[in-house]
Amino acid sequence: MVVKIRLARFGKKHAPFYNIVVAHARTARNSKPLEVLGTYDPIPKSPPPNDPHARPWKDIKLDRSRAKYWLGVGAQPSDPAWRLLSMIGLLEPKYRPSMVGGKVEKRSLIYGT
Amino acid sequence: MDSWIEGPGRAFKRPLPGSTNYLSAYDRFGRLIRLPDGKPKNKNSSQSGDVDQVKARQSEGGNPALVPDGLDQAAQENDRQDTTKKDSNALPPESLDDLRPFPLNNSFRSQPVLSEELREVIYDQVVNRDRSVREVSVEYNVSMERVGAVVRLKTIEKDWIEKGKPLAKPYARAILKMVPTTPYLGSRTTHESINDLPVHSATRQQIFYPTSESRAFTRVDAAHVFRSGLLPADKRIPHPQLVEREKLEIAQVPKSEVDEIMNEWVAAEAARKQAIEEREKAEEKRLVKTVRAPRWDFKFRDINVDESGKDGRGQKGVGWRYGFPHQDRKRGQVRIPTSVE
Repeated sequence: MVVKIRLARFGKKHAPFYNIVVAHARTARNSKPLEVLGTYDPIPKSPPPNDPHARPWKDIKLDRSRAKYWLGVGAQPSDPAWRLLSMIGLLEPKYRPSMVGGKVEKRSLIYGT
Repeated sequence: MDSWIEGPGRAFKRPLPGSTNYLSAYDRFGRLIRLPDGKPKNKNSSQSGDVDQVKARQSEGGNPALVPDGLDQAAQENDRQDTTKKDSNALPPESLDDLRPFPLNNSFRSQPVLSEELREVIYDQVVNRDRSVREVSVEYNVSMERVGAVVRLKTIEKDWIEKGKPLAKPYARAILKMVPTTPYLGSRTTHESINDLPVHSATRQQIFYPTSESRAFTRVDAAHVFRSGLLPADKRIPHPQLVEREKLEIAQVPKSEVDEIMNEWVAAEAARKQAIEEREKAEEKRLVKTVRAPRWDFKFRDINVDESGKDGRGQKGVGWRYGFPHQDRKRGQVRIPTSVE
C-alpha cells in the first residue's frame, strides 16, 4: 500500500488545524497515522500592534529529519503537503506561479474563455 | 427613614467632592468629623500618629501637567504652600476613620490609587527616559506589576487619544475625587510596600523537619526543605538589592561606595538577563526557519517526533492527539485568560 504524507484536519468549525501525518493512502483521513510529523495552523497570527514592520505569520511545526526519511523511502506527499515541504527545500516546488499562469492561459485558449 | 434623610443623612444626598463620603467619616448628627469646627475630635486626636501615614489627598487644583525632574523641588514647595494656604477653606486630609467604608469593620481601610499625575510620571520615566521598571518601582515605591500595568494602560490611552477615540474622562475624574489617591511628591512618593515576599504555593504547607542543633539551618535550607530548587526568601523578594543596600548601610559603608556597589549589582543583573535573552533568541533562530510569502510568513519550527513518547501521548508531543476526548465543552473549564503575562 502507498504511504502518503498528508494533512489530517483537526480543530473546530471555522478554526482548522492540521496534523502533518505519514499514513497509508487508503486509511481514513483522521485515523491513527503511522507517524505525526508535525502540525500546520492555517490561521494567520496577527503581529504585535506596536511593531509596524512585523508581518502576520502562520505556524508550522515539522520534524525535518523524519520528513526527509519518509520522503527517502518513497512516501508520496499530497499537494498541500508538497507545498509545505517544498518551502523548506525538502522537495522541488510543484506549482510555480509561472507554471500556473501558463496552464490558465492554455486552458483559456482551449475553452475560449 | 425620612428623619434620617432630613437629618444626619443629608450630607450624602450630594457627595462632597474631595472626600470619600463614607458613613464613618460623619458623626451621628451628620457632621464631618475631620472638619476643624466639628466638635467630636477626641477619637481622631488619639490616632493622630497614624494620620501622617495616610496618603494626603491630591489637591484638586493640582498641576495636571507632567513634572520633570528639575522641577521636583519646586513642585514639592508648591504642594506644601498650597495645602497650608488652602487649609482655611479646604478639607483637611482624611484620617484613618475617613477611609473605613464599612462602619462595623474596623480593619478594612480604603487603599489609595495612583493619581493621574503619578501615572503620567511613571509612564514618562519608563517609556521616554528608558529607565527600567525596577528602578522606577524603587524610586516611587510602586510595585513592579503596577508599574507595568500603568505603562500598558497609558500606552493604550495615548493610542486612543492619537486615534481620536472618546475617553471616559468625566467618569475617571469623578471616581478619582471619591477614592484616596497617592500624589506625586518626587522621590518622596510612597504608594505601597514594594518588597513583600510573594507566597509560593510550595511554602504553604506546615513541615516539621528534624535537624541537628549543631547545624546552621538557614533560609536556603528551609527553601530546600519546602521544595528542592526553590529559591530562598531573600532571593524571591521583588527587590533583593534593597536588602543588600540596607546591609551595607548598617555596616556604615560610605554612601558613594554603596551607590557604586548597587550600580554594579544592577548592571550585573541586567547583563545576566540580556545573556539569557540572547541565548533564547539564538536558540529560536536555530529552530525556526521563516519563509516569506506575499501576504504572510510561514514559520517552520523544527521539532522532534520522539518527544510524544512510545504511545504517542507524551506531554511534550506535538499535534492533535489521537484517542483523547476534548475537554473544552466540559463544565468548569476556564476558557477566558485568567492572567496577563
